[in-house]
Amino acid sequence: MEGIGYKILGAVLTTILAFVVGMFYGGFSRKITARIQNRVGPPVWQNFLDVLKLLFKKTSVRYGFMHHIAPLWMISMSITTLMFVPVLNDGLFFTNLNFSGDIIFLLYIMVMGSLGMALGAGSTGNPNSAIGVSRGLTQMVGFEIPWVMALVALMIQYKTTSVTGLMEVQSQSGTWLMFSSPFAFIAALLAMPGMFRYSPFDIVGAPSELASGPISEFGGKYLSTMMTSGSIFAFVKLTLYVDIFMGGASNLIVLVLKTFTLYMYPVLWGTVSARFRTEQSVRYFWGWPTFFGFIALIYAAF
Amino acid sequence: MVITDPVYFIALPLLTAFLLPLFGKIYKPLIGIIPGLVFAFLAYISFDLYLNLVPGKPIIIQMAGWAPPWGINLVFSEFSGLIVTLITFLAFLVWVYSYNFKKVGFDNSKKYFTLLMLMVAGSIGVVLTGDIFNMFVFLEITAISSYGLTAFYKGRDSAEAAFKYLLLGSLSSTFILLAILLLYKQVGTLNMADIAVKAQSIDPKMKSIIAILFFVGLGIEAEMFPMNGWVPDAYSQAPGPVAASFAGMLAKSGIYALIRVFYTVLEVDGVFDLLLIMGLLTIIFAEFSAMRQKHLRRMLAYSSIGQMGLIMVAFSFNTKAGIFAGLFLMFNHAIIKTLLFLSSGFLTYSTKQKKIRDLDGFGKIMPFTSLMFGLGAFAIVGLPPFSGFWGKLNMLVATADSNLYFVIALILLVAVVEIVYYFKVIGRLYFRQQHKEVEVHNPTWNAILAMSILAIVIIGVGIYPDLITGYLTKAANELFDKAGYIHSVLPNLSLN
Amino acid sequence: MNSLVLLILIIAGGALLSYFGHKINKILGNITVFAVALIIPIYWFTQVDFTETVSFTVSGFHMELGYNMYGRLFSMIVMILSPLALIYAIGYMKDQKKLATFYFSFLFSILGMTGILMSRDFVSLFIFWEIMTWSSYLLVIFLGKDVQKTGIKYMVFSAIGAYAMLMAIVIIYKNTGSMMLSDYFGSFAGFTLQTKLLTGILLLLGFAVKSAVMPFHVWAPGAYSNTPMAYTSVFSGALSKMGIYGLGFVVVNLFAQANLEIVGYVLAWLGAITAVLATFSAVFQHDAKKLLAYSSIAQLGYIVTGIGIGTELSIMAGLYLAVLHAAFKGVLFMVVGAVERQAGTTDMNVVSGLVRKMPFTFFTALIAIIALAGIPPLGGFVGKWMLYESLINNGNFLMVIMIFLSSTAAFLYCFKFLFGLFLGQQELEFDHVKEASPIMIIPMLLLSVFLLVTGAYPGIVFKYIAEGMTNLGFHNVNWQMSVLTNAWGDSVNVQHVYLSVVVVFVAFLIFITWRGYKHATKISTKDISSSGEMIKPEDNMTYAMDFYKPFERVLSPILKYKINKYYEDFGKGLEALFDFMRRIYTGNGQTYAVYVIVFLAILLIFSKSIFGY
Repeated sequence: MEGIGYKILGAVLTTILAFVVGMFYGGFSRKITARIQNRVGPPVWQNFLDVLKLLFKKTSVRYGFMHHIAPLWMISMSITTLMFVPVLNDGLFFTNLNFSGDIIFLLYIMVMGSLGMALGAGSTGNPNSAIGVSRGLTQMVGFEIPWVMALVALMIQYKTTSVTGLMEVQSQSGTWLMFSSPFAFIAALLAMPGMFRYSPFDIVGAPSELASGPISEFGGKYLSTMMTSGSIFAFVKLTLYVDIFMGGASNLIVLVLKTFTLYMYPVLWGTVSARFRTEQSVRYFWGWPTFFGFIALIYAAF
Repeated sequence: MVITDPVYFIALPLLTAFLLPLFGKIYKPLIGIIPGLVFAFLAYISFDLYLNLVPGKPIIIQMAGWAPPWGINLVFSEFSGLIVTLITFLAFLVWVYSYNFKKVGFDNSKKYFTLLMLMVAGSIGVVLTGDIFNMFVFLEITAISSYGLTAFYKGRDSAEAAFKYLLLGSLSSTFILLAILLLYKQVGTLNMADIAVKAQSIDPKMKSIIAILFFVGLGIEAEMFPMNGWVPDAYSQAPGPVAASFAGMLAKSGIYALIRVFYTVLEVDGVFDLLLIMGLLTIIFAEFSAMRQKHLRRMLAYSSIGQMGLIMVAFSFNTKAGIFAGLFLMFNHAIIKTLLFLSSGFLTYSTKQKKIRDLDGFGKIMPFTSLMFGLGAFAIVGLPPFSGFWGKLNMLVATADSNLYFVIALILLVAVVEIVYYFKVIGRLYFRQQHKEVEVHNPTWNAILAMSILAIVIIGVGIYPDLITGYLTKAANELFDKAGYIHSVLPNLSLN
Repeated sequence: MNSLVLLILIIAGGALLSYFGHKINKILGNITVFAVALIIPIYWFTQVDFTETVSFTVSGFHMELGYNMYGRLFSMIVMILSPLALIYAIGYMKDQKKLATFYFSFLFSILGMTGILMSRDFVSLFIFWEIMTWSSYLLVIFLGKDVQKTGIKYMVFSAIGAYAMLMAIVIIYKNTGSMMLSDYFGSFAGFTLQTKLLTGILLLLGFAVKSAVMPFHVWAPGAYSNTPMAYTSVFSGALSKMGIYGLGFVVVNLFAQANLEIVGYVLAWLGAITAVLATFSAVFQHDAKKLLAYSSIAQLGYIVTGIGIGTELSIMAGLYLAVLHAAFKGVLFMVVGAVERQAGTTDMNVVSGLVRKMPFTFFTALIAIIALAGIPPLGGFVGKWMLYESLINNGNFLMVIMIFLSSTAAFLYCFKFLFGLFLGQQELEFDHVKEASPIMIIPMLLLSVFLLVTGAYPGIVFKYIAEGMTNLGFHNVNWQMSVLTNAWGDSVNVQHVYLSVVVVFVAFLIFITWRGYKHATKISTKDISSSGEMIKPEDNMTYAMDFYKPFERVLSPILKYKINKYYEDFGKGLEALFDFMRRIYTGNGQTYAVYVIVFLAILLIFSKSIFGY
């Protein structure tokens, strides 16, 4: 009984942590981007305000059942993914269900959220949404390849397929995988902006292109749920990277430090790059990142 | 013993054939009925004799009481009896089918049935006889009557077909006669068993020339490449049931003669290899040409040639398994091809040019006939559960037995080709829309009966091939046993 | 009477009864089909004794029928999918003609499949294999579309495969003297390397053609899309598994145990390549039927890879994917059939927005697509997981990447399928569409339930797979009801996944729906944010054509090489050859006479070398 109680409490706490951290990161990125572009920018807690405002707005139109459940889908998947990622190395509250998941599983469940949104977007009938989705999926084929190659290389090299396994390897050997498997790290890092849909790969939701793309027809509670889900998801991805490549974190401060450092890479690069067209992004991903992925695989095999 | 005398096989049809016009003068419909009675009777005798055969003891009839090797004798053994039974059965069915075949027309039915009976008599004679010159005589009878039947419709194309057939047939007769003459000069006897005994003493150079002459001469009849040019024309111009009997009776007796000469009478090294090669060439050229045919009957004709080639290959192995397979194939071909020709007779009745293209959608307007054709096609390609499958299987097993793997591959490749062109027809029959309004000539009740009987045989043997495998094995054993043959025919001879 | 023989008779009898029933009266025919569709599986599940055998000798060949666990696994697929498809067909084929032939061929192909799975000797195997082939051929050309091209292509490829098998069979017979499968497996080790390779590869060829492995897959897109959809669900779901059945036997029993794993590897590579290329082809199809056809080829590629690798986990993965593929592909083809029937077309450039009109159909399609994509928490993920893990465990990293590439690209066509048919704009011309009739929906729903359940409890399928694998030489296969393990001890507990997803989903559902849903007005899809433009109902705003144009641009170098083209060129070359050969028969009598004389002359001249004199 005790265990279950702690587990549930831990799950809720983790969710709130992810939400808060994710929101703040979003705010930070907006602030930093603005500063680089010589603007003042919104305050770092702006995202919270947005979510709260949207929460209390009533939606007066709806499109049908799929449209209604799409945001739910997204957030269930985000939270589920969170449950299976070890947030801290060990500890009472934050390890959750990560004992029963592994990398392949995580790869797939991360896609599930996008599928939900895709379906919801599709059900509105807005062609912009549809175009956005098709581009998003195409891009996904692009960045998943080097990302998977990196992961597979690691899995083969260290003969484990779970995140906790890789974290153990790092704690045992004392070095971060960032350094002991550099090629995998480079490939994964290059794939990261694609995963976050930051410039130059932000064609999916670009306002000037597609009127916000897939999220065009969502408002009010739906949009707030989706934003929440997005921020949680961002946190999940960052944590995953940190766990795999940067040795995990033993307490929350270290976690925040590491994730933030990592997060700066896509943000900063995004501010100075132009947008790729879809086929350009795919070709890019299948170029150098994949090349590094190959090297990583060969390196791992021998 | 009086009723079931093998002499009847020859005497009766010959006699009746010539008396038919007389009967016609008395009462016209008799012309149609009498052949039926005759064939039925012959079929009955044949079945009776065959089923009661004792292995090792074929029935030998000595004509005119002259004992061989001077007199002519008839041999009704497991092997020859099998073929005779097949021929009489098919003759009967052909009669059933053509009893009131409209195109034959009433005035012409005299000629039709006369010639038919002559052809049947000749075919049976070839198979039954034990004397080589007698065989030649019967081959001639068969040939001449079939020339007539080919030209039956008196059109330009029929005449041309008959002419080609006549031309090649004459060459065939010439060569065979020449071979027999040379042989007679060497061994001084015309009795097959006797020749077999004396065969060693023939000068080898002479022997090879004789063998070549026989090979070519009989090959023409047996539709061997490259001498089978007459086949497509003859089969497609003759009336439907006639084509069926060509495939079922004529070709069978041709190949019987070939086999008998080279298995029993002569023993020539290397002929079986030659037969294998020619057989394979026959198959290849025939089936590939069949693919390109647009005319239904010609396609069937080429397919027949292909089957004959396959039979030749089977017999070329010179093993019991090979003979067994060859006999099975002969049986299958006779029954299935007959069904195909009979059904195609009605299918093309309604279309002027008899092209395959014109058959679109016939499945709907002539369901029974199309079904029969479809059944035949499935069976001849070798699809289970029809009789053709078991034949093909045994053929392949025999081929594997002789370690001829690439022949297996070739046979199967040809089978794929067969599937293509037969299934193209089926596709048109059933799954396409009809082109234009055609006059439907539905098959008459007797045609339906004939085709149904054949279909039942195909399905029956397909599901339970052991119905006939026993007889086939016995026939194979008998053919392989040369000494036995000689011994039965010439019991007084002491073998040295 | 022997229950196996009775089973065969029941199916054959059912075929004949359905044929005559439909010839007499449509309603009577439908009732007969329905009854037969229920009787066959009920009999199979309750009465058949799986330890019985029946043997007979025909034409000198000893033949035997009997089940083993491996065959039973596949039989389960056949016995569950086929009756559901038959019931579905009653609704689907309502307005068609020639129903008698349809049901006859349908049931006969079931007969063929059942027979194959019971055969213990090669002759029965071949007989039933051919029966299955020609009965499915009749269904492929049933609608009369493209009869010559599609039907003949199908028949030719099937024939080549089947005859390759036949050749192997007779060679085996020569070497072992027996037709029994067990004798072949037993004495395989003693064959010469040449014979081993020859027979094994020939058998593989036969099975590979049926499983649409590249490069023998060219018959599949046409065949799957031109057949009536009611049958395609069985065609793709069960018939292709017959090839898998054979592949399993050959690859595992023979090669792996005779140290010829390289053959399995080649097969696995072919499977991976098939998966990738077929998926790419599927992405660009605009006809839903063709999309599903290519998707089937790709999925079969996964299964073949799993079996080709040959480790315990990979074979489990392959077999599990086979079972699941039958289920979700069955549903998807039924869905497409329903759409075709209700809306009149399956071209995704034309149809769209059917979700409100056909909600049940959409729901089943959604479940099936999720399972196909392999996304947790549904059953498809289980299979994919096992496949990846086995490949990683085995070190085949390149193959993992390829399968993953294919899987990711699969999301593209998965989305397109759902979006193209159901989501998107609702056009006026499809306003009349109604939901499919219950008799069509119920089989789809039943299969969807199966997919939902195996998401949390894949063990119910594992049980039968593990039993089946004993026949392949794997004893004591580890499996658990809800936990998937791999060779390194890592595991996934799918039940937890399921639980987590459901809990969160329900929580938020309540949160959002509460006080929000009813107040909002449901609007049509024409009412979208469009920057002030007024969109009239007749405006067509569907985004459908060239849906994945960017991707197409990326892949254009690869897409240029179409295997189909090579085959067609080869076929044309053959036809030219045949034409050339035909000209020997010039039709001129004198020429023929000349042939004869020339032949005679040749023989006489060369008589020395032929006859020795």
